[in-house]
Amino acid sequence: MSYGDDTTVIARTVARITLPLVLVVAIALLFQGHNLPGGGFIAGVLTTAAFALVYIVFGMEYVQETIFGDEYEPAGSVAGPLVVDRYRTLFGVGLAIAAGTGLGAMAFGKPFLTHTDEVVKPSTEYVAWIPGADFIFGTLFEFHWATAFVFDIGVYFVVVGGLLAILAVVGGE
Amino acid sequence: MTPDLWVLLALVGLPFLGAAAVPLVYRVLGERTAYFAALVALACLGLVGLLYGTEGAQSIDWIPALGIELRFYVDGLALLIATLASGVGVCILTYSGGYMHGEPGQPKYYATLLAFMGSMLGVALAADLITLFLFWELTSLTSFLLIGHYTTESSSQYAARKSMLITVAGGLFMLVGFVLLHAVSADALGTSTWALAGEGSMLENAGAMRAALESEGLLVVALALLGIGAAAKSAQVPLHIWLPNAMEAPTPVSAFLHSATMVKAGVYLVGRFRPLFLPADAHPGSLELWTLGFAALGLLTMTVTAILAVAATDIKELLAYSTASHLGLIIAGFGFAGHLGAETGAFHILNHALFKATLFLVAGIIAHEAGTRKISELGGLREDLPITAGIAAIASLGMAGVPPFNGFYSKEFLFHAAWETGAASGGLYYLIPVVAVFGSVFTFLYSIRFLMLFFGEKPDELGHVHSPPVSMLAPPALLATLAAVVGIGGITGTFDVPLGPLEEFVGNVIHAVEPAGAEETAFHYYLPTTVTPWAIMSGVTIVAGAALYPQYGRLHDGIRSLLRGPVRANWWYDTATEELNPTSTAVRDRVQNGLLRTYATWVSAAFVVLTFSGYLATNVGVPLPTEPATYLPLALTGVVLVAAVSVFGDVSLRTATAVASVLSLLAVGIFVWAIFGFGLAPGELATQPPVVFVLALAAVAGIAVSRAPSHIAGVLTLSILGFMVAIFYILRDAPDLALTQLVVETLVLVIFLLVLDKLPAFYGGWNRGRMARDGVLSLAVGAVVTTTVLVTTAASPNEESVIARGLAEASYPEAGGNNIVNVILVDFRAFDTMGEIAVVSMAALSIVTLIALRERGETR
Repeated sequence: MSYGDDTTVIARTVARITLPLVLVVAIALLFQGHNLPGGGFIAGVLTTAAFALVYIVFGMEYVQETIFGDEYEPAGSVAGPLVVDRYRTLFGVGLAIAAGTGLGAMAFGKPFLTHTDEVVKPSTEYVAWIPGADFIFGTLFEFHWATAFVFDIGVYFVVVGGLLAILAVVGGE
Repeated sequence: MTPDLWVLLALVGLPFLGAAAVPLVYRVLGERTAYFAALVALACLGLVGLLYGTEGAQSIDWIPALGIELRFYVDGLALLIATLASGVGVCILTYSGGYMHGEPGQPKYYATLLAFMGSMLGVALAADLITLFLFWELTSLTSFLLIGHYTTESSSQYAARKSMLITVAGGLFMLVGFVLLHAVSADALGTSTWALAGEGSMLENAGAMRAALESEGLLVVALALLGIGAAAKSAQVPLHIWLPNAMEAPTPVSAFLHSATMVKAGVYLVGRFRPLFLPADAHPGSLELWTLGFAALGLLTMTVTAILAVAATDIKELLAYSTASHLGLIIAGFGFAGHLGAETGAFHILNHALFKATLFLVAGIIAHEAGTRKISELGGLREDLPITAGIAAIASLGMAGVPPFNGFYSKEFLFHAAWETGAASGGLYYLIPVVAVFGSVFTFLYSIRFLMLFFGEKPDELGHVHSPPVSMLAPPALLATLAAVVGIGGITGTFDVPLGPLEEFVGNVIHAVEPAGAEETAFHYYLPTTVTPWAIMSGVTIVAGAALYPQYGRLHDGIRSLLRGPVRANWWYDTATEELNPTSTAVRDRVQNGLLRTYATWVSAAFVVLTFSGYLATNVGVPLPTEPATYLPLALTGVVLVAAVSVFGDVSLRTATAVASVLSLLAVGIFVWAIFGFGLAPGELATQPPVVFVLALAAVAGIAVSRAPSHIAGVLTLSILGFMVAIFYILRDAPDLALTQLVVETLVLVIFLLVLDKLPAFYGGWNRGRMARDGVLSLAVGAVVTTTVLVTTAASPNEESVIARGLAEASYPEAGGNNIVNVILVDFRAFDTMGEIAVVSMAALSIVTLIALRERGETR
């Protein structure tokens, strides 16, 4: 079965090429957000925009059947399209993650939503005989983690879930 | 010995936990949930038992920034109310198991009852004014839910609304009083505090508090505010009107909330504040403001509502008015200065709870088994309900104040206190004992009338009356037994064999409502053995009542015929609410008529008015830009804007191009002039031409939106504006904003296009008046936004701003991020973001719900 028969070949081809790019950019924005322009909100909106492109070019049916593997229920059914439930779960999970990071801080006796971060550099003690070990196993694997990022992921999920739910419901009309 | 904090927290928390568990328990136990709830109440009673013998305050921080604590205080008064709330609670919840059989909404009912019990325990134990207020309003809230238990009955709705309006409004007065006390405590104690009792509290420094209140001239105000709160809650005249209507609730609720506990909250408040407002050396003749206010209020209520009780036609209505009357008695008792007043109030709280809860439960049995609550349709119930008749006899004779039943003793204290107060001042003050006797005669009359439901001829229509189940009979029997024990204690007390534990218990309550430093006397009660003025007053009451009783029917009719129009407090309430209804309907039709543009108009107008009045109130001056570098782009944009307005009046392409060329030349000219005329560095201006171009394009797009021939064209033009703003952000080195603006703009465009498909193609008729209004409003909104931008940016965000620099400096060391915008979003101001994503979720949910619901409506 083919989808998006009522859109032009140009639109479909462009969508196929740009979609992965947009999604990768969105993920990149999410990850670099703490130090470079980006962040959960922007990444979330961009992801939603990518999905909007798929909706417009290939139709709601495509998203539901090929991405989620659900039976497609035509619009006008009582609860709205089935994907909406998935999106609802998504932003519920996002809220839970965001609130969870806040509660996590309280578990350590800090006020709600206190964040912490740390730069972890692996020890090169046992591989020091390899030339350049300090750079290869140390600096390259150096990892800077921050609990604020977990919160940002929560924001991302909420934005993606919320906006996609709106889009699906409104588009499903 | 100070009480254990954990016991206190468990005591107040347990009922709420129980309430939360009720829906789950109901699935397993069904109607037997009543016994689960009763067990919870029993556990609370046990915890209260642990508190006996302790006294003092415990607290944990709640809102330290405002000095608000979760502070609890245990003393005799708190223990009395807590014992009543949990003890009567056990009886009521057990009784409900029989009474509520087959009734709708049981999980809600039990959960609310338990939550109420928790709130009442909170009121009794709270010693922080804000904590007290919180629990106080929780009792109003749960009472509202319980009165409106039969949600579909219009009389229930009316009653619930009325009680909510009166008690919550009263509570707000009380809150103002609390805030006053808090403010004054700064003068009296050195630091302001919310603590009412315990160390460093208001009650501990009552003398200083009183002096500070007097020197500020706030004594009367504070007293009046607290008095209104207490009077609204305890149904004092003229705010008594909600209580008879509250009888729409299921009878166990009436017995629990509206006789034994919740209405006692007001009385409790008066008792609690008594030591604060009464000096330690107050005596019956000193006529403090406190006495004048509360004794008068109490006696007035006692008399008026006793008369109204005689006019009642329904047994629960009779009991409701009688409750108000007895609450008046307690308030009057607390109102009298000196030891006797405290004895009256403290002892009558206990006695009234015992006999009135019993009588309500008896009324519930009658209504349940006989099927009617009309006084005229009932009689001779003794034959079918012999045990109930015995219970009712003990309770109603106590209510009448007949010796040796329990109510007699506390009424005797009232007569004594009233006589002493009257005699100490003499003259017109002799009216006090006279009024007390006058009111009590009516109390006697309606008490006997209630008792006579069980005697005399049984009306033929009544038919056979079933016996109540044990679960409905045991609780009132238990309460009546306790009432009888109190009565017997008085008899044995006469022969010097007093009921020790009871007298000690009541003695502690009295101690709690006495001012610090007052003379301590042990509490004893007994039958009068010598002829005293107050014993004569009791005698007169009973004899006059007995003599008038044969005329009860004529009295009843006579009072009813007088109750017309403005004489009734209800008339004022009903007239006020009914007259206000059309106003609110009219306002609704104008403000919220379902048209989106009406909402937009009101929101925008409110925004304009509020912001402008804010600026006016704070005297904000509008800083106009003076630096050429600052106002140059503005001026240029303005030029383009004005030109664009003229261009967009249907002109040919040729004319438009011509105007654009002239404008470009003009802009270049201005720049040349700026560089040579003002000597601005070209580098400073290097970013200006693109900015001007972009902003001008945005402005043109804005104008074009209003000229767009269709929705789609309008939205597309609008997105030009949005994208131009995004480019402006890029030019101004704000990549985060630019990114956000770009993706949001894209997405909004898509959603807009999806929605537009459903909208009508035409906006509706043009109306000159509406156009003028919208135009003026748009200009006003624009003016406000411009002013706001000017005002906010005038605070120099450059070098001087501490906030910006502080955030920039703290960003990496504290949050480990270089992107300040993102660090602010997810770390420094993460709580705000949390709120925002919650809003996103809620918006999504409501859109899903609205559209799903609408479709449901269509398919039906």
